[in-house]
Amino acid sequence: MGLIPDFKQIATRSPWIYRINAGSCNGCDVEMATTALIPRYDIERLGCQYCGSPKHADIVLISGPLTVRVKDAVLRMYEEIPDPKVTVAVGVCPISGGIFRESYAVLAPIDQYIPIDVNVPGCPPRPQAIIAGVAKAIAIWRERL
Amino acid sequence: MSNQIAILLAVLLFPGGVFALAFGLAMKGVDRRVAARLQSRVGPPLLQPFFDIIKLGFKRTMVPAAANQTVFLYTPLVGVVSMLIAAALVPITSVYAPDPAIGNLLVLLYLLMIPGIVLMIAGSASGSPYGAIGFSREMALMIAYEGPLVLIAAAVAIRTGVGMGGWATFSLNDIVAYQQAHGSFLFDPVMWPAVAAFCFFYPANLGIVPFDIPEAETEVLEGPLLEYSGPVLALFKIMSALKKVVVLSLGIALFFPAAPANIAAGFLVWLIKMAVLMLVGITAVRLSMGRMRIDQAFVFFLKWPLLLAVASLAVVVVV
Ligand code: SF4
Repeated sequence: MGLIPDFKQIATRSPWIYRINAGSCNGCDVEMATTALIPRYDIERLGCQYCGSPKHADIVLISGPLTVRVKDAVLRMYEEIPDPKVTVAVGVCPISGGIFRESYAVLAPIDQYIPIDVNVPGCPPRPQAIIAGVAKAIAIWRERL
Repeated sequence: MSNQIAILLAVLLFPGGVFALAFGLAMKGVDRRVAARLQSRVGPPLLQPFFDIIKLGFKRTMVPAAANQTVFLYTPLVGVVSMLIAAALVPITSVYAPDPAIGNLLVLLYLLMIPGIVLMIAGSASGSPYGAIGFSREMALMIAYEGPLVLIAAAVAIRTGVGMGGWATFSLNDIVAYQQAHGSFLFDPVMWPAVAAFCFFYPANLGIVPFDIPEAETEVLEGPLLEYSGPVLALFKIMSALKKVVVLSLGIALFFPAAPANIAAGFLVWLIKMAVLMLVGITAVRLSMGRMRIDQAFVFFLKWPLLLAVASLAVVVVV
């Protein structure tokens, strides 16, 4: 860092997070929404903030196996997120379909449709794992800025 | 000519412009940090709002197909400029006195309405149904809180004017000078209804819980801001940071401008007052309450602040 601060470096300290539920059983969502935000795990210290609108997001957390019903909505939502963005797949569902893998209604693995940068396996994953995944996503995001 | 330059400097550097922006963002950072500590979390770094603004500068701006592009992109600029000017209107005791040509309470009241109107226009120009809901909620809330504000301002103006042997004075410099000479309105029982009404008004005007109904992110996905991204969204964040400085500073100027005559000491006292107003009036309130419904907020404002404001005006006129 010289006289002029490194703005890209500074920018990576403010990743805003958006959650997409692609037909998850809600287990992963509960982990993301509550556990990662309660005092013990607090991801706000990384500068993260859950945002209500996909247009404000930098890091997308996707959970669930991508059911046929929500596929179009999820793809559209993903398009709405402005570049540069990073995608994190939370849970085992987006990777393989998890416990839903033999269903006729799911389209997992999700990376056939959306480029996934970080996988956080687990059913549901532990909060520590989600935080580690987000931290990894921030590192990838830094390169894309 | 020289006073035009002075006004320009006041708008761009101090107390508007660069100073108000940095101060507003720093206040936001302290607010978030203290809020986190009160919830026994670690919380974000103090400079987090600055990081957020810089980050938004790197993002792409997307304009929805349904939006009116010109209105969508340029309304936030109007809001920022109005707040920059407003910041130059509010006196800081013994540090800054606005040029008499602009330091007028009525002008300030009009300028303070602009951010709300900007949010409404932005919400409807975005072409999103959530923006439209945000629009209607913002409008209802504005109708609810503008009335009390005007009455409060009138009460202060009349009290000052009558005290100075006239009828009503809307010059902010006079209002501050009068209180410097005769004691702050905060300690004047006649003005207490107005002080109380102002305490209800400013959380609503600044859009914080329990009155952040137009931008409720859990129900209307941040309403008018839903479709904004990148640098344009940063303009909205800047606008609300500036607005916070203006409104809190206005509260101090109207009710409690007492400060030592020394510049440095006066500034320090102002900083302390701002911090107390923010921590008590914003952080504590925001953490201890849930969001109201728009109808509840509307009825609430018509019941209490309006009543208090009418009472204060009546008392001031009678006494
Ligand atoms: S990974 Fe497990 S907890 Fe998560 S959505 Fe799938 S089934 Fe539910």
